[in-house]
Amino acid sequence: MNPNWRWFIGGVCIALALLLLAAIFVAYQMPELLIDWANLRYCG
Amino acid sequence: MTSTNNTWRTPLVILTVGCIILTLSMGVRHTAGLFLQPMTTEHGWSRETFSFAFALQNLVWGLGSPFAGAIADRYGAGRTLLIAAALYVLGLVLMSVSPTPLTLDLSAGLLIGLGLSGTTFPVIMGVIGRHTTPEKRSLALGIASAGGSFGQFAVLPIGQMMISTYGWQSALVLLACGVGLIAPLAYAMADGHKPSAGAGQSVVEALHEASRERSFHYLFWGYFVCGFQTAFIMLHLPSYLVDAGMSANVGMTAVALIGLFNIFGSFYFGWAGGRSSKKNLLVWIYGLRAVAIFVFMLIPLSTATAWIFAAVIGILWLATVPLTNGLIAQIFGLRYMSMLTGVVFLGHQLGSFLGAWLGGRIFDETGSYSLAWSISIGLSILAAICSWPVNEKPLARLSAAT
Repeated sequence: MNPNWRWFIGGVCIALALLLLAAIFVAYQMPELLIDWANLRYCG
Repeated sequence: MTSTNNTWRTPLVILTVGCIILTLSMGVRHTAGLFLQPMTTEHGWSRETFSFAFALQNLVWGLGSPFAGAIADRYGAGRTLLIAAALYVLGLVLMSVSPTPLTLDLSAGLLIGLGLSGTTFPVIMGVIGRHTTPEKRSLALGIASAGGSFGQFAVLPIGQMMISTYGWQSALVLLACGVGLIAPLAYAMADGHKPSAGAGQSVVEALHEASRERSFHYLFWGYFVCGFQTAFIMLHLPSYLVDAGMSANVGMTAVALIGLFNIFGSFYFGWAGGRSSKKNLLVWIYGLRAVAIFVFMLIPLSTATAWIFAAVIGILWLATVPLTNGLIAQIFGLRYMSMLTGVVFLGHQLGSFLGAWLGGRIFDETGSYSLAWSISIGLSILAAICSWPVNEKPLARLSAAT
């Protein structure tokens, strides 16, 4: 594979991975999850 | 990385599949608490009934790990993963239709516990360890740990969305379908490994040999402390923050930060373990945990300090996994790596059990978490001291075989 393409695809993958992590992080702000977090304490 | 007999079963494929399996198994396990409220409400159970099933699961997971590791070492990781995935799926499906506390104990406690024993770190790390060169092994184990960390971070909100959209019973079946994907993936992990050094050793001989090595005991107790701290902090940090007058949102973001930074920490320390002394890195990790907790206790509590603490602890969270597993492989060889990492993982689970239980007990007795935090600092210092004398050199048996 052309090295330029390799860097481009690598960069896109890293950007998508960071976007995914950011989206998951935002998902933790769901109010339902906040309520249910109390339950996690009982289940380790 | 070392080559394999099958052209398609390359180290990269095994590492990728191992990461996916850990994401699924660790991630689905992490959603357990989400089912407490709907299940106890529907069946009229107490919280203790539900909690007992999961305390049992934690212990079965720990106790089953050495056996799952030994089976994987003896009969192959592929078969072990297949059987464990079937038990995990069966446990989740039966949990969705459990009518009594006893059936919940059998499904969520026993079956899922056994399923976890065979689908998590000891079995997966053994395969990955065998397919990587010593130079790249720590990095590979770090990437796999990051996979497990990612699962814990990512599947929780997905599980919540499933419960909100489809109801708790359907959500359990859907999660079971997700775990079912481990079965076909197990084929890639069926490496049919042919051990070199230690090939003539039996399971009992390997255990006997490890039990005579002080380094093995140091790693066991270090992992015990790791389990104690992670269980205590994950379970009780949100309550600690709420008790200090903060909103639940601050606690939830702290948990998310731990999960997020855990991914980077697992990867970084795996990479670092391939470049410098693993036991020295363990000393740093346990030492920094003690410092982080001490500073967190010392400075005035605020939203910013809570989040900074969460990020720092997140980096140090599962960073012990690639280093401890890497040391087992380095010292004792690869032949019984899964079983021996299963034994030290038992220490981790015993620590988890104690951390979760003792944190609550101390709070009930004293009305605060101060003593539990102090114990956590003390144990961290002990773990750092325990990690220092670990002898990283391979056993004479391995040196003679090479």
